This record gives sequence, structure tokens and C-alpha cells, in this order.
Amino acid sequence: MAVQYRPIVPGIKRFKILVIKIVFIVLGRAFQSASQHDEEIRKEISSWRDGFTLIMKVMPDGPYMGLEKKNNMLEFKGSQLKQADFEIYFKNVESAFMIMTPQMGSHQAFAERRMSIKGDLGIATVFTRVLVIVMSVLYPEFIVKRLVKRVPPLTLKRAGLRVWLYTLGILLGK
Amino acid sequence: MLPSYYEFHNPVKIISGNKALDNLPSELEILGAKRPMVVTDKGVAGAGLVKIFIDSFGSSGMTIGAIFDDVPPDSSSEVVEKITSIFRQNQCDSLVALGGGSVIDTAKGVNILVTENSDDLLKFSGAEVLRKKMKPLVVIPTTSGTGSEVTVVAVISDVKRNIKMPFASTYLLPDIALLDPRMTLTLPPKMTAATAMDAMSHAVESYINLQKNPMSDAYAVAAIEIICENVLKAVSDGNNAQVRLAMANASTMAGIAFSNSMVGVVHALGHAAGGICHIPHGVAMNIFLPFGLEYNLPKCRENIGKLLLHIAGDEVYARTPESRRAEQTINYIVELRKALNELCGLPINLKQAGVTEDKLSEIAQAAINDPSIVMNPREMDVNDALAILKKAF
Ligand SMILES: [Fe+2]
Repeated sequence: MAVQYRPIVPGIKRFKILVIKIVFIVLGRAFQSASQHDEEIRKEISSWRDGFTLIMKVMPDGPYMGLEKKNNMLEFKGSQLKQADFEIYFKNVESAFMIMTPQMGSHQAFAERRMSIKGDLGIATVFTRVLVIVMSVLYPEFIVKRLVKRVPPLTLKRAGLRVWLYTLGILLGK
Repeated sequence: MLPSYYEFHNPVKIISGNKALDNLPSELEILGAKRPMVVTDKGVAGAGLVKIFIDSFGSSGMTIGAIFDDVPPDSSSEVVEKITSIFRQNQCDSLVALGGGSVIDTAKGVNILVTENSDDLLKFSGAEVLRKKMKPLVVIPTTSGTGSEVTVVAVISDVKRNIKMPFASTYLLPDIALLDPRMTLTLPPKMTAATAMDAMSHAVESYINLQKNPMSDAYAVAAIEIICENVLKAVSDGNNAQVRLAMANASTMAGIAFSNSMVGVVHALGHAAGGICHIPHGVAMNIFLPFGLEYNLPKCRENIGKLLLHIAGDEVYARTPESRRAEQTINYIVELRKALNELCGLPINLKQAGVTEDKLSEIAQAAINDPSIVMNPREMDVNDALAILKKAF
């Protein structure tokens, strides 16, 4: 009897996708909240035009999250944006999981091409600096140290922002 | 040490050597091209290189679709549009860039417009925006420095909007890099030195930054060895075809290295100084290279130290204790700059290059927003940048 060759549909990585989706929400809200309180972040994004949109996306068909600059803050748009002015890609689910959990920093992820961008290269340098600040507020120093080239100083204000993010900031996005 | 993961990509066919140019018609035929359009500049034409180029097509049965020889020193979108319309009018099917960095970038820009059938370059600016395989592109460098013949990038300025548009895409990689010693014989000493130091900084920066990998390292150290052996000869005895060909090879190898592992603060500062004070790129590289290395020393002492073997040779390397190798590498580069300065007057500080002190903070600000800093080992902030600029002043 002749062997039958059928197309194969691979499964879905449910657990990792779920974790990435949760981190996207936490990170998105942290961006929104921190961009209202942190002077450095406000200064960094001041060069972006109003209405500027950005998405982070897992390739080729994974979850994504969007941010929009409005009134000099970054508004979390969840999965409302399908396209944006500037896009950050994770090459696959495994890479996104590694970066989101966070076992790998963005510089290393760029170096290993697990993370890549589409759009204005100048935006990329600003975005990585903003990301570093958000990370340094979200995570304790012993974790951040492994992720970034230089740990930004945890000022009194940022320590306060960390408490705010953990209590209400992420919940409310304010 | 092997990185936990890396990627390396170089599909460009390298054709190097005596009368390499005469292979061009058959190479174009392999690529399926019949009517190439040539992009070049007045300097190249004036040096008689276009004539050699046309001669190499003799008895090939191939028609050169058009020759545009008026690319300005800074590639601009207006010129790209002009060449694009000639390309269409003359029904060309491929591109040959005969020139230095500006000519090569211009040809890449034309290739974007003719491939995408568009007249607006800005739409395709940025990283990974392009999605189509392009027309055949052959690059014949007439300087030995930019490495553009093997890189994924192009920079074209939009004069009307007063912006520099960067393009980065694997589709921008040329099909062939053709290195013929005749094409660089007429390069004047100072330009030879400046472009050589550009190639040198490509190799050095690619070897020390975060994206380095065993493949890019191999190209980088090979390039450094060839440059150190030949650069002074190329500047003082420009007619030596052997030396010229060596420099062309080194430049292409350095290009392959940095196209795969990126550059760092030296280039970030150089792009900024070039944008604000119009210092030629190679001159800026020569000025910033030792200071950039010194700045990165705390983060990558071992890698800078290893470069000593390739810069100074095995005897010096063996003689130098491990703890002093990184400093020695920097010393050797400083010495090389001094020698070049004496030979042809290549500036070794910003003042000599015509920069005024009041511009430094503006340059520092631009440098930290330059994409080149992302893969640099040390995170450079605006104060760091200013400190380096003051040292280099
Ligand atoms: Fe360069």
C-alpha cells in the first residue's frame, strides 16, 4: 500500500503565549504609567510627534501590543493597533518568552537578532533607553544588572514610582 | 568565546584581482542583465576610470544602457530620482556603481525606486522596510574604505526636507563586489589614508562590540592585518597596484565584518560630527578611533588586547604582558595616526579638522541618538560623549 503524506499542522505553545500576553499588558501599562511620572522618559519621547504609534509583535503570527504617543505620554493600546509607525519584532515565541520573562536584555536580544525593528533607526535608540528605564523601575537591581549595559540610578522619585507601579500604576495605567 | 547565538550573512560574490573588470560583461550575463546603467561621479570620470570601464565591455556584444557621471559627494534624493528616470527611459535592467560611498549609496537608492516602481524614497527609509528582491547591482569601489559594496545599508539625504534617510535591508546587498587595482590607483594620498582609517575602524569596532561573532571576527582581524601592513605604502606609493589591491580587499573584508556585527561609538561620534560640522567620514574615524577604544576599555579590555597581535605582529604581542596589551593596541593606533599625519596631513584632532569648540555639545547630543551606539559595549550617555569629544578636540 502506498504511504499517505498529509500536511502537518503544528500545535500552539499555549503557556508561553499566555505569559507573553500577560507581560505585554504589564509592560504596556508600565510604559503608560511611567511616561506620566518619569521626567527622563518624558524628555526622551518629546522628540516623537503626537499620534506616533509603536507596536511590539511576536513573529510571524503571535501576540502584539501597541503604544501611542498622546500629550507627551505613551498610551497603552493593547491589541488595537495592527500596524504602526515603528515596529519591534520578536523573531519567534521562544525568543519573545526569553526576553519578556526577562532572561535576556534588549541589547543582547538585538545582537542575537531575536529582536529586530522596522522603521526609523533613530527611534530605536530612544526606545531602548526608555525600555531600560522602565525595566529598572519594574525589576530589582540584581535582575536589571544582567539585562542592561548600565543600570540607571534608582532615584528617590523612581523608588516611589516603583511602589506606585506595583500598587496601582500597572492596574490603572495612571 | 563563542556567542550563545549569532547570525552571519554575506551573499556578495567577490571578484578581485588583475583586470577583474574585464569579467564584468560575463558576470552581468550570469545575473540575467543585458543593459546595465552605470552610476559614477565626475572625479572617477576625470581620472579616466570610466574609459577603462567602457573598454572592458569591448567585443562583449553588450550595450551600456546609460552612464550617469554627476553624483555629488553627498548622495541626495534628487539625484537618485534623476538617475531613476534615465534608468526607465533607457530601459536599463541592472546597475553598476563605479565610485566611493556616495556613488554606491546612490545606486542602492536608485535600485529601491526602480524595484518598487516608486518616486518617493522616504517611504522605504528605515530598517527592514523593503520586501522585494532588487535588480542586479554590481559595485566597483574606487576608494578603499566604506565597505558599502558588501553592506546592507545606504544613507541618502533629502535636501528639501533637510534629513538624512538611512536604509537597512538585506535586499540592499549588491550581487557582486568587483575589486580591480586599476580603480584605486589614482586615489590621492590623503583620501587613501582617510578611507583606510574608515576601514580600520569598521574592523576594530566590529571586533569589540556586542554583536561580534567568529565569522565577523575572522574578517575583521584579516582586514586589520592587511591594513597595517599596507596603509603607509598605499599613501606614499599610490602607484603600487599590489598594495592598492590589498587595501581594496581589506576594506571589503572590514565591510563584511561590520555589516554583520555593527559598529560603535567611534561611528556614532563620526556620524554626528559629519552631520553637524561636515567632517569627511574617514577623517572623523581617524580622529575618534583611539578615544573610542580608550572609552570602551573597561568593558572589553581583553578583546582590545587581542587586537595587538593583528596590529603589531606576533613578536610585539608576545613581548607585551597581557595586562598591557589593550593599552599597547591603542598606542599603536596613535602611532599609525601620527605617521599618516606626517605623510599626508590627515587631521588627528577636531581642531585640525576645522571644528569649533562651541559645536561639541551639539555633536554629543546627536551622537547618543545615532543607531551605531546600540551595539557598543559601553552605554554612552551625553556626558560621556562630551568627555570623549573634549579629548579629541
Ligand atoms: Fe565607516
